[in-house]
Amino acid sequence: MTNAPPSSIKLPAVVGLALAVGGLIVLSWWMGQQAYHWLPVQASTAAPLVDGLFSFETALGTFVFGGVSAVMLWVIVMHRADKYDESDAVPIEGNTKLEVIWTVIPLVVVMGIAVYAMRVGETLGSVGPMEHIHLAQPAEDQGGYPGDRLPAEQIEVVARQWSWEFRYPGAKVSSTELHLAVDQPVTFRLVSEDVIHGFYIPAFRLKQDVIPGRAINFNLTPTREGRYRLRDSQFSGTWFAANQADVVVESLDTYQQWLKQSASQPLQAGISDAVQQYEDRKKLKSPGWATVVPAPPPQVNVPGSNTLPHDA
Amino acid sequence: MTSASFPPNYGHPEEGSWRRYFTFNTDAKVIGIQYIVLAFFYFMIGGLLAMIIRGELITPEADLVDRTVYNGIYTMHGTIMLFLFIFPVLNGLNNLLIPTMIGAPDMAFPRLNAVAFWLVPIFGTLLIASFFVPGGPAYSGWWSYPPVSIQNPLGHFVNGQGLWLTAVALSGVSSIMGAVNFVTTILRMRAPGMGFFRMPIFCWTALAAQSLQLIGLPALTGGAVMLLMDLTFGTSFYEPEGGGDPVLYQHFFWFYSHPAVYVIILPVFGIFSELFPVYSRKPLFGYVYVAVASFLIVGLGLVVWVHHIFPSGVAQWMRNFFMFSTMLIAVPTGVKVFAWLGTIWRGKLRLTTPMLFCLGGLFNFVFAGVTGIMLATVPVDIHVSNTYFVVGHFHYVIYGAAVMGIFAAIYHWFPKFTGRMPYEGLGKVHFLLTFVGANLNFLPMHPLGLMGMPRRVSSYDPEFAFWNVLASLGAFLLGVSIIPFLLNMLSSWVRGDKASANPWNAIGLEWLLPSPPAEDNFGENVPTVIARPYGYGTGLPLVENQTAYEQALQEA
Amino acid sequence: MTLSNPPNQEHGHQSHNLTGFIIFLCSESVIFLAFFSGYALLKTSALNWLPVGVEGLEVHAPLINTIVLVSSSGTIYLAERFKAKENMALFRGFWLLSMAMGAYFLYGQYVEWSGLKFGFTSGTFGGTFYLLTGFHGLHVATGIGLMGLMLVKSFIPGNYVGGEQGVEATSLFWHFVDVIWIILFLLIYVWQ
Repeated sequence: MTNAPPSSIKLPAVVGLALAVGGLIVLSWWMGQQAYHWLPVQASTAAPLVDGLFSFETALGTFVFGGVSAVMLWVIVMHRADKYDESDAVPIEGNTKLEVIWTVIPLVVVMGIAVYAMRVGETLGSVGPMEHIHLAQPAEDQGGYPGDRLPAEQIEVVARQWSWEFRYPGAKVSSTELHLAVDQPVTFRLVSEDVIHGFYIPAFRLKQDVIPGRAINFNLTPTREGRYRLRDSQFSGTWFAANQADVVVESLDTYQQWLKQSASQPLQAGISDAVQQYEDRKKLKSPGWATVVPAPPPQVNVPGSNTLPHDA
Repeated sequence: MTSASFPPNYGHPEEGSWRRYFTFNTDAKVIGIQYIVLAFFYFMIGGLLAMIIRGELITPEADLVDRTVYNGIYTMHGTIMLFLFIFPVLNGLNNLLIPTMIGAPDMAFPRLNAVAFWLVPIFGTLLIASFFVPGGPAYSGWWSYPPVSIQNPLGHFVNGQGLWLTAVALSGVSSIMGAVNFVTTILRMRAPGMGFFRMPIFCWTALAAQSLQLIGLPALTGGAVMLLMDLTFGTSFYEPEGGGDPVLYQHFFWFYSHPAVYVIILPVFGIFSELFPVYSRKPLFGYVYVAVASFLIVGLGLVVWVHHIFPSGVAQWMRNFFMFSTMLIAVPTGVKVFAWLGTIWRGKLRLTTPMLFCLGGLFNFVFAGVTGIMLATVPVDIHVSNTYFVVGHFHYVIYGAAVMGIFAAIYHWFPKFTGRMPYEGLGKVHFLLTFVGANLNFLPMHPLGLMGMPRRVSSYDPEFAFWNVLASLGAFLLGVSIIPFLLNMLSSWVRGDKASANPWNAIGLEWLLPSPPAEDNFGENVPTVIARPYGYGTGLPLVENQTAYEQALQEA
Repeated sequence: MTLSNPPNQEHGHQSHNLTGFIIFLCSESVIFLAFFSGYALLKTSALNWLPVGVEGLEVHAPLINTIVLVSSSGTIYLAERFKAKENMALFRGFWLLSMAMGAYFLYGQYVEWSGLKFGFTSGTFGGTFYLLTGFHGLHVATGIGLMGLMLVKSFIPGNYVGGEQGVEATSLFWHFVDVIWIILFLLIYVWQ
């Protein structure tokens, strides 16, 4: 039996492979850059960190997916059986070295990504204590809203079916439009009066479920002036999709002006699209299936708007 | 020399008429077909619901159906697709393949098998009936998170959510019956010579998946029972007013429902592992590693559930722990993916319909794996969780990989169990429409999620319109793609070419049986296994006296 | 040269029943584990665990019940030993005794329930208490039923020709029910 010559890989194959891998690396890097465009504008301190992690994952993912797809394409084109060839291929049953390589390398890579992500999470430091509380009692029974007992900088967010109320205890202002001062850290206290809601502002890259029976502290720092969307992200019933509010990030001066002016506004019905849609629906002959009745719109100093154009 | 003698009706089509498929029949091969056909019936219903969803979402406003109707429809779409399509169809494949692949005459408990099947149309009817009770069906998504799921606006004792919970509980009973059966069969009824490391990978992954069912389902049942108590009897396990905790439900729910996704994908991994060798004429690369990886996935799959609820009421340390555990699953999964690449590399590929579905499925799966890694990292997940990014991810896995794998299996084993050949041309058309439709439907969901479009919405801000239109077009294409499949199945079964015992020239015990096999498969003549599976190119026989079996099959 | 069949295929499916039953029991234990962990989580995170007017649970009578139930595991084991020695009279005697002890346990549970000052809907404490004890009681009742069935079948001639998997499975189930109770007792009555 003759020995096969030591398996030397041909030069064109090495060059071709190097070019392909090189090309894939370039493509991956490029996709990583593109990834930033798929995301909304960066409007909080969290956004660049989250986007950076996502961009890195996109680049890595492009490399892996691209590599696997390239191999599959190569095989489909180059390793097809001839038309009438019914015979078997070379019976290669495995390769332990290869198994070790493609176990260890992915292990190291995914653990590396996890560590990177953990550091990002720590830097964000967005979620705070999540104490259990008694569900909100009528204000009269408690001698005032819970928000009255919060530190001045905190904003209490009350989620309902289907509206968002924002209370500024320090300034004694309430609104259904969230105003924030740019570059000022803010702590929210998230409470729900009925079911689970999701406090989600895509431009900030932050989201926290609002759980009835708990008061959850949530921190962020907006970094870009503009008008952004706050969307309910945890299914909360019939008008879940319409439970959206606007977030206005403005300069500190403008913000403080707004607070001062709002404090003197009389209470009026805030925004709750569900209320009007519920009324319209009642007029229909066959409106649909059963629904929970929307909570009355919160009484606030400033309703604001949720129909103006928003940046993200 | 004694030649293998086969049972009397060997070589002729099964004597039984089509009527036996509508009876309480204990033959696993009949039950398998019953499961699969019933599952596709529900697939059509779930698919119709999907068409309505995408019809609503092709425009920003909620203008097609009332919001309550939309919410009921998306809830039932998910519920039907999971509990009435994918789990039953996989149990159907288990019934057909496990006994024949291991040389057993039937399942360990044939009557239990039939009972488990007949529970499916029972709870299926309950679920469909919920559309017609006052108040409509369950409407809070297939998760049924309290408190919203148990608000029960009309206050009736019998309501959509209650029917949903009852149906899901019955589904759990049916699945556990099946799991006890499949596990006992695989552990105790293998042919002589078939040690664990001579067992086909499909049986390994079935064993792994069914173990997950046994461990995980009772947790869901417990959580669901408590939810039903809250809904119907006014207890407060999850109601904050009574001291309960809604997040507790989430933990119960996901403790099962995460492993459930491995229950779905592991058999598909098994299908890929069976088919790539056949259509590349090469052994499965690293058989032992692929087998063991199935159980690494089982172990890890039980400790990752919190990644579904990162933004919920869970503390930061918990988010970190589960991020690390989730990341680890990529490793055994990667081992399998690389094994399949190693199998097809330098193979002699035949791009038949089953192979095309496997290749397409693998392609989609790797893409889904990449987005899965993204979702595993907490900071990114906080942004995209509960958005269309997740919907895109899981539909890539479920439709793009699992359903395509199931189609591959059906085309591949159709000749064996019906005795007819499916039409190859229609099969390729089905593949093309499915592959294009799935990618067109689910790829646009990723930018939508990144831009901040929440999931489960009946209306959305206008900036999301472009990608939604593309997604809806893809969905309609998927709807059309079912037509060549149904045509193929029906007409092939009735008037397709007669199939030989081994039309694909594959290696495996099931291919040493006639097409279709006799009721008791090998009967008295169970072969003794003498080699590992997938010995393509080695020229070695799989069983003792293999030529005797092949000769007998030829002579029939 | 004939092709041989593996032995288990000649005995049909009879020999697999115990395997299947053990697998089922392992799965069933998870539902109890789920309820146990739910109880523990709700108890540790509750603001007010016990309902108004309830100071705690009385331990004395449940302790007696526990002793009776755990002892019945002993008596059922003895019954099996007598059966192995083919002493059918003592087998049936101790079997019946185990059933009686189980029935006493259920009676004791009923007495305790009727004396309690809180109901199923009295907050999470009431809900979890009745859910756990009720679900367990259901299993005790099932066990007694299975034992009754086995007792009746023991009079059928030739009943044990194919093996005694029914008796084995039933006694396994009974031990299972006992272990669950011990954990339950520690969780609900001891840890107060």
